[in-house]
Amino acid sequence: MAETQIKNFTLNFGPQHPSAHGVLRLVLEMDGETIERADPHVGLLHRGTEKLIEYKSYQQAVPYFDRLDYVSPQNQEHAFALAVEKLLGVEAPPRGQYIRTLYAEIGRVLNHIFTVCAFAMDIGAMTPMLWGFEQREILMEFCERVCGARLHMNYFRPGGVSLDMPAGLAEDIWAWTEEFPKCLEDLEELLTENRIFKQRSVDVGVIDAAQALDWGFSGPCLRASGVAWDLRKAQPYDAYDRVEFDVPIGKHGDCYDRYLVRMYEMRESLKIMQQCLNEMPSGPVRVDDRKISAPPRAEMKHSMEALIHHFKLYTEGYHVPAGETYTVVEAPKGEFGVYLVSDGTNRPYRCKIRTPGFAHLQAMDFLCRGHMLADVVAVLGSLDIVFGEVDR
Amino acid sequence: MDLALRDLGEYVQAALHEVVLSVDIDRDELMLTVRREAIVRVLSFLRDDVNCQFKQLMDVCGVDYPSREDRFDVVYNLLSLTHNLRIRVKVQTDERTPVPTVTGVFSSAGWWEREAWDLYGIMFRDHPDLRRMLSDYGFEGHALRKDFPLTGYVEVRWDDEQKRIVYEPVKLMQDFRNFDFLSPWEGVQALLPGDEKAKSGEKR
Amino acid sequence: MGVIQDPKSGVVVPPSGDVDDLWKGVTDAVQEKGFLLTQLDNVVNWARAGSMWPMTFGLACCAIEMMHAYVSRYDLDRFGVVPRPSPRQSDVIIVAGTLTNKMAPAFRRVYDQMAEPRYVISMGSCANGGGYYHYSYAVVRGCDRVVPVDIYVPGCPPTAEALVYGILLLQKKIKRTGTLWR
Repeated sequence: MAETQIKNFTLNFGPQHPSAHGVLRLVLEMDGETIERADPHVGLLHRGTEKLIEYKSYQQAVPYFDRLDYVSPQNQEHAFALAVEKLLGVEAPPRGQYIRTLYAEIGRVLNHIFTVCAFAMDIGAMTPMLWGFEQREILMEFCERVCGARLHMNYFRPGGVSLDMPAGLAEDIWAWTEEFPKCLEDLEELLTENRIFKQRSVDVGVIDAAQALDWGFSGPCLRASGVAWDLRKAQPYDAYDRVEFDVPIGKHGDCYDRYLVRMYEMRESLKIMQQCLNEMPSGPVRVDDRKISAPPRAEMKHSMEALIHHFKLYTEGYHVPAGETYTVVEAPKGEFGVYLVSDGTNRPYRCKIRTPGFAHLQAMDFLCRGHMLADVVAVLGSLDIVFGEVDR
Repeated sequence: MDLALRDLGEYVQAALHEVVLSVDIDRDELMLTVRREAIVRVLSFLRDDVNCQFKQLMDVCGVDYPSREDRFDVVYNLLSLTHNLRIRVKVQTDERTPVPTVTGVFSSAGWWEREAWDLYGIMFRDHPDLRRMLSDYGFEGHALRKDFPLTGYVEVRWDDEQKRIVYEPVKLMQDFRNFDFLSPWEGVQALLPGDEKAKSGEKR
Repeated sequence: MGVIQDPKSGVVVPPSGDVDDLWKGVTDAVQEKGFLLTQLDNVVNWARAGSMWPMTFGLACCAIEMMHAYVSRYDLDRFGVVPRPSPRQSDVIIVAGTLTNKMAPAFRRVYDQMAEPRYVISMGSCANGGGYYHYSYAVVRGCDRVVPVDIYVPGCPPTAEALVYGILLLQKKIKRTGTLWR
């Protein structure tokens, strides 16, 4: 038989693919079924958020953060609110901090349910999606009850939160935290020891601790590689220094460990939520500075000064002292940072958004090299990529 | 926290005194400004030195100050897990002078530098793969520069005769309403017509 | 929502009335005669409206609400709406999210690959007209600049219920205006 020339061929994965988690275009150089090189083309959802934020006042910029990582919107807002608070030199009142912590954890559970279920769906398990999304639906109801929007809350504002929690909500959240572990057990029963699931995820996309640090990993992906690092513990913000929780750490840094870390994190989130509900102090939810947070509507009806403040806040917004800060939160996907430069006007001079997904997606080439084509989907699902935040 | 940052700042300045231009601590954040050519050396030092241990490069980004001669800042945000500290390193550059790439020091820098190139047009020397990344294929200009208009120059439309997507100059039904709230009474001093004469008279 | 008024008398017609009448007519005819006479147009429209398979074209935030509409609680399967991953198999494309300049050619290609008759639901304010990102340099100001749109679902993002309502409106539209050849 004559010797034949074997040539690598290029496979174009996306931009429209059901398991590309949105609009990823992945150009794969393949040797048969094996991947030689993966070149992600991002930017298909690049909406110019950073540019738009430079043209909006601080208050108008908050909803852009919802729309970055739309699976857990409130956590992004949290970073921006903290960054602006740092520049303004204010701190949210205790009740505001506890509510923010509570809702940040709701966001984490929202995100992890989505990730785990979508990951399972990507590698062939349909049922978790149907079960998990019912829980997401309940959580979105909690979001709706507190701020009026199911998904994009625009709830965490610089200086606190926009509204207090309505009566009865705390009890309902508590009841849910008691019921949710059962759903988690069901999911675990379906997935954790499932032979197919393990075959698809164990030892796929392995990254060790040093490499994970080098590639800028953070959040569950870093912890799955065995690095005990959680910003909520290390650099606590809001009420995280007043609650008790554990940080689950993985050992192998493969897709399966990333899944397990997320499952355990959800249980820890429930703990935090319960503590927040128990220890929730009473009092205001926003700073009492009328130059930063709008007066209540009732006050505006009889106070001229309040009316002027309201008008100024919603047209001009507030001026933030010049300076710069890099403020981070532990978003469900990892370290979400806002590098905010203010020049003393009512609009940010520069707002760089550091998203965890960007760093994780960057490592796709590293993680996929030498794997089979089908593993790309598993790696992608376990890294928890959402294109809103990668492309911004 | 503040003390540890001050110690670290002094330590780094002592070790790298010939390349560190300034050390600032602002709102509990340490900021180094260094010489452009020395960025690789500085980041390698910060990563490997036993008192620094900044093992993670969290972010690289550009900032544009059009009024400056070296109009761009390139900002590196680093994180040390062992000491639980952050540091921000800045270099300055202009449109033409490339910054040495730090992909050799931190793998994660690759995409962030690509992004800075794409959005600001900051060049990075010896970067292995300096393509555009976020903006459209065939995009012209650098979107996040302050002199780039918010709405860009082109918009797309499906042309039913040519049967393809065509690019056309932007036509908006209503322009972006950009209010200037820096009122002459409180914000920066606005120059009202005629005022410049009065001021120049004073100088003389 | 969904209230139909008689234009002359102003009497509110119960929304499900026409469906009940239809079914009564059908069952009566089948029981009496054993067969049913109708126009081919009507049968075709009935079939088309009853099994609209949407292309899963999730672009951004709205995709989350779209997925919520597909799974357990809103369960679009009961309307014969089953998401398909391939444009060749689908009748409807739900544009869920911001359409950017970079994505526009890919989107148009997906649309071109769909077989006639095909319908487009534009979901969310970004797809309707750019919305929150209208003034951005990278965003298409409305997906109707690229493809013809049948139904616009407003909201940012529209709730899953709103999307379900949009799909029901599209069904109505197909039944009302559908012809054999579109």
